[in-house]
Amino acid sequence: MANYGMAFDYKLCINCHACEVACKEENGIDLGAKNHRLWIQEDGEAEGDFWNLDRDKINFMQMQCQECQDAPCLKACPNGAIYVDNNGIVRLHKERCDLTLACMKACPYEARYIDERNHVTDKCIFCADTRLARGETTTACQITCPAKLRYFGDLDDEESEISKVLRERKHFTLKPELGTKPKLFYLE
Amino acid sequence: MKKIEISRRKFLQGSVTLCVYATSSLSSTIDISHTQKNHIENIPYLCNMCRNKCAGFARVVDNKVEKLNPNRYFPKSRNMLCPKGNAGIDALYDRDRLKYPLIRIGKRGDGRYKRVTWDEAYEYIKDKLVTIIDEEKDNRSTIAYCNGEGFNKDEYIKFFGSKMGSANFLDEGSICLNTKLGATQLTIGDVGEMDVAGSDYLIISGANRYESLITPDSVDMIHTKQKLVVLDPRCTVTALKADEYLPLNPGTDLAFCLSMIYIAITEKLYDKKYVKEYFKDFDKLQKHIVENKYTAEWAESKTHIPSKKIEQITKEFFGAKNPLYYLGRRSVWAQNDFQLRRAMVLINALAGSINREGGIIFGKPFVLKEEEINEPFYNASGGRFDLDGIVYGSQKGGSWLNFREKVINKTTPYPVRAMFIRKHNIMQNMPNIAKTKQMLNMMDLVVVLDTMPSDTAMLADVILPECTYLEREDMVVSFNRLEPSLALRNQVIKPLYESRSMQDILKGLGQKLSKPLFEISAKYDEDLQESIKDMGMRKAFKEGGYDFTELYKKSVEDRNKDLIVAQFGKDIYSSLKNKGVWHPYIEEEKELYNDYYEYYPKEKRFYTVKRDYKVNCYLQKLQKSGFDPMPTWHKHYDFVLPQNSFRLITGRYVTSTQTATTNNIMLKEFKEKNYVWINNKVAKNLNINEGDYLVLSSAVDSVVIQAYPTNKIAPQVLWFAHGFGTSSEELTNAYGKGASDNMIIEDKFEKIYGCATMHETNITIRKL
Repeated sequence: MANYGMAFDYKLCINCHACEVACKEENGIDLGAKNHRLWIQEDGEAEGDFWNLDRDKINFMQMQCQECQDAPCLKACPNGAIYVDNNGIVRLHKERCDLTLACMKACPYEARYIDERNHVTDKCIFCADTRLARGETTTACQITCPAKLRYFGDLDDEESEISKVLRERKHFTLKPELGTKPKLFYLE
Repeated sequence: MKKIEISRRKFLQGSVTLCVYATSSLSSTIDISHTQKNHIENIPYLCNMCRNKCAGFARVVDNKVEKLNPNRYFPKSRNMLCPKGNAGIDALYDRDRLKYPLIRIGKRGDGRYKRVTWDEAYEYIKDKLVTIIDEEKDNRSTIAYCNGEGFNKDEYIKFFGSKMGSANFLDEGSICLNTKLGATQLTIGDVGEMDVAGSDYLIISGANRYESLITPDSVDMIHTKQKLVVLDPRCTVTALKADEYLPLNPGTDLAFCLSMIYIAITEKLYDKKYVKEYFKDFDKLQKHIVENKYTAEWAESKTHIPSKKIEQITKEFFGAKNPLYYLGRRSVWAQNDFQLRRAMVLINALAGSINREGGIIFGKPFVLKEEEINEPFYNASGGRFDLDGIVYGSQKGGSWLNFREKVINKTTPYPVRAMFIRKHNIMQNMPNIAKTKQMLNMMDLVVVLDTMPSDTAMLADVILPECTYLEREDMVVSFNRLEPSLALRNQVIKPLYESRSMQDILKGLGQKLSKPLFEISAKYDEDLQESIKDMGMRKAFKEGGYDFTELYKKSVEDRNKDLIVAQFGKDIYSSLKNKGVWHPYIEEEKELYNDYYEYYPKEKRFYTVKRDYKVNCYLQKLQKSGFDPMPTWHKHYDFVLPQNSFRLITGRYVTSTQTATTNNIMLKEFKEKNYVWINNKVAKNLNINEGDYLVLSSAVDSVVIQAYPTNKIAPQVLWFAHGFGTSSEELTNAYGKGASDNMIIEDKFEKIYGCATMHETNITIRKL
């Protein structure tokens, strides 16, 4: 029983792809760039002439399911296949999914993709059926990251590192205006 | 088609033709509830996906490697695994791996081989070698041997050099970093180690530490809040993340360094106490720099970096507490490379950043005892010729380009007729591939030991399949100087197919070769004939050291145990077996934050050690050989190009290690092929759009590659990543993807260390 969330010290990212490979290897995600539970999005571009480049607008953003507390995907599924497990993670009853793709359309973060092998929609579930199921307390992406920029832990535990870092540092969520209440936080 | 080099996901999302013909790991096929009943182990190992040797734990379920995780105990790799390290599973289970010994049945290069037994392969090699060495009257140096992998290199040298008697060893040094090693050694008497974590001001010239990862340097840069200044003719990720990015003309870093020295000397910014105590010939350096007027204005005219900026950076650097000018690694760019690296060392020395926190440190590495072997002496063996015309050169690995040139021009003092090539893709790793092919075609015997059917393997007469790093135990290695540790590569699973470890391959070869080659010596070597007369055949063989298998009487595991227990004791051996690592504070490691650890307590790190050394400003030997004794700019170093030409520079993607990872199915999906970066304004003028096919031509050859116009590269410069454009059709994931830089890079080399200069090729382009 936990209420898992993640916080990103996103400015430390060097876009090395270690998290993406670790996720695919750990969770057996199909190859192909469209199949992924997480990805790094390069926001912004270097602007201007080569000799006077403005690099300030470029950010590498860690993208994946935002673990909304008011999840549009959950509400959109006509089959009631999506639920929140007792660790606070948005999950899927695989047998109830018949690929209506309603969840994919509803997700404002483009976090879901079609798992063509299992014929379901898939997304990041914090390694719930691999590492967490084995009793480990880290996700594949978090532990492999050279920057250690991903804080993963129980938001309900005041002593957890993620709770502390969220108390100490300013942070924001993606698309807060939608009221989805993500449990993924980006640290300023 | 936007941002092909940047946003993989968004770019590829619309594509429906992506191959999804394999799953990323075996774990996907195994049901979790089921695995819990299975035999699960976490085995410590050392990675070998690049030169770093980071530590990991392999999760093994029923003898299948399911996942590789970082090993928190290793100070060097700081509890992380990079994308390549994570994709090691796909190297292990690569369907294109070399699986069985093969002997060529077609013409060289046509790809036709037959599967043979190990004994047949050894027998074939023996017959050829006996004929060659007999015809060369026991001159063992007719066999050249090379190795591109750090681990086991010394053993490989012991086999072909010490035991078999060849003087011709070649490795990656002369196409990598020998100038940097030499410059540091000759200037401060040691190659040292850079303390990136301890520096508060870091200047990096060209080295792309965030895309070409080096542990712990790259990791330390992320976690240390120092000021980072990056000079590069291309805006790399390292440059993107820098506090200050100084775009400059390629090959002009030396002018920047000379100007820093000029400003430091004329404005007396340097550490006077340090200079007085440690510098030798400072007066000569001072006179040379001042008389040549290496001012900031002068440097601006060479580098394109504003003089005000050069002055500002220099003042900040010398005003910092622990400044470090990073010396680079894969470093040889141009003729002036040796003196460029020396200028960097001198800048550090002028700031007093030697043998102290944040500088170039000497430290205190663990020194492992060597296993002694009995080395035969071959009177008929010829000496090295690769250093003819080279001032210093490496004592270990030869100068590849000088060696190759002499072989193909037949100007060697004796014929080189056979090559043993281990984990060294010489058909891709050095400039002017056509010449490498020509050299290999002159050989009577080419044997390749590798895991993959590389371009080089496909020109071999005999291919011996080596197992990957996850399938073998290697000899214990001592790492680092500031926070020294021992680390052991444990065997994770048994070798797949019929592959073998290098030691097992050499043992088999040794059993086959020792006696017949001894007999050839007995035929030609008068000293040996005398020994035989004196002590008899058997004793002369044994005591003369002619048994090539001497090191391999025991398994690697037993050798490790004997060596480690004798020198360090049982507890340390057990730490190496269970944790893969040992250092004195391994039980006291402190988590700093979020699974990031402190290893040595700060007061126990070897920042400063007792050492008697001098900083040599002036190298007499160079002066006597007609070269600059001190870093000097020459007119021909100026960045001037013929009309309509571009300067080609190379580098790599964060997901590839030269050509070694080119077939990796996981990494391939991040960068399936390379694109050539061309300045966006230049491209516009030439009507070149993203994805257009371009023919790039140099004096030696041409390649076809797709264009990536960007504002992140200087107008007269082209860049594309090394590691693509493979010609081996057996690498089914990589074949036909992208272009090979070494097809078109001209084979020039500098004469101080005999290193290939990779950034001196001019290119013309034509749109297809």
